[in-house]
Amino acid sequence: MTCIETRRLLGAYVDNELDLRGAVEIEEHVGRCPGCGSEERQLRELQASVRTNLIRHEPAPAFEARLRDALRVEGLQTLAEATPPAPTPRRRRALRWTALAPLSAAAAVLMVVALPRLWPRPSDASVADAVIAAHVRSMLANHLTDVASSDQHTVKPWFQGKLDYSVSVSDWAAEGFPLVGGRLDYVEDTPAAALVYRRAQHVVNLFVWPSKRASVDPLQHLARRGYSAYWWTKDGMHYWAVSDLNEPELQKFVELVRRRE
Amino acid sequence: MPQRAESFEAVVLPHMRAGYNLARWLLRNDQDAEDVTQEAVVRAFRFFDGFAGQNPRAWLLTVVRNTAYTFLQQNRARELGTEFDEVAHSEPAANGRASESPEVLVLRSAQQRLVNEAVEALPVEFREVFVLREMEGLSYKEIADVARIPMGTVMSRLSRARQQLQAAVARRERAGSAS
Repeated sequence: MTCIETRRLLGAYVDNELDLRGAVEIEEHVGRCPGCGSEERQLRELQASVRTNLIRHEPAPAFEARLRDALRVEGLQTLAEATPPAPTPRRRRALRWTALAPLSAAAAVLMVVALPRLWPRPSDASVADAVIAAHVRSMLANHLTDVASSDQHTVKPWFQGKLDYSVSVSDWAAEGFPLVGGRLDYVEDTPAAALVYRRAQHVVNLFVWPSKRASVDPLQHLARRGYSAYWWTKDGMHYWAVSDLNEPELQKFVELVRRRE
Repeated sequence: MPQRAESFEAVVLPHMRAGYNLARWLLRNDQDAEDVTQEAVVRAFRFFDGFAGQNPRAWLLTVVRNTAYTFLQQNRARELGTEFDEVAHSEPAANGRASESPEVLVLRSAQQRLVNEAVEALPVEFREVFVLREMEGLSYKEIADVARIPMGTVMSRLSRARQQLQAAVARRERAGSAS
């Protein structure tokens, strides 16, 4: 291993981020090269100094109480929104609002506890949760695309360098699903390509990421909270199409994708 | 309290202090760090249904990090996207607030002060990666996820941050011995 190569990897070596073989190669090199050896010592000294000297900042003592107040308010609002508004006049409702909170809390607990039971398999359920949450977030946070383009030759290269796998990108404008762009998303700790399509006022997110197991999953469908999702695994890749489109429309989209694969 | 709130309290809230520390290092100001931490925790609570059982600390740190960046974009955009600039970053945080905080007042030694100021002077994209690594002990992969950058960028930013710190320490030591 050359000195240049060693210097480039020295930080990762000190951080224990290299695989065994790489670590052994660096270790051998720094053992016999005084320059790189001294560089390693300096890095370790800096690391030790930083770890003992950097201040771990603490919030002011009153902060935690304030934070809990904010969460309490947030919890009550969330629960109030989850219940249909009571048909009482505005003035009375304001008075009764706190009295209703326990009831709506019970309703929300029921929803949260009961819904997961409907899921097919636990592993699929947690992925489905993550994918639907990512779909919802993409629309709420005003962050639909990182690269906005209807040109597949712009979107595909954009992913290169951001993902360590390649994603095929097609535009189906002619079939009624124009490509809007792409976004880097995360599903269960894994970077996923999110391809964004539109159908009238609806958005379709197609999430693609590599599978950890070598299986082929057949096409499956589920619906939840007004969202519809189709998923399948093919050629080592997971595909999840999520939208608030109705089921037949989304199925049409999925057929387009699967015909290309 | 509803079950959802209880589990949020058990799973996510224990990492609130780590979140505050990250926000404080990114924003270099107590008040802004508290505001951003509070907003981030509230957002984490709203999105808690989307939490799929990954590392809760890394998950909360991601929300804090994104909230801090939004704050910087809206209030101090010039701190973002800065490349290394020897002149601009060789001095400690120019707003001077750092020296007002109680923690800084009790700095025990010149060395400690020097290290903290040098890290504060790093551009925020580098400071972020550095703090996640050296204070939170996150792996390169976890840092890549939190900061939404490829692992190679984590590695190069860490490496440049360390070079910059070594240079800053050497510079101060020379200045110290000259005066």
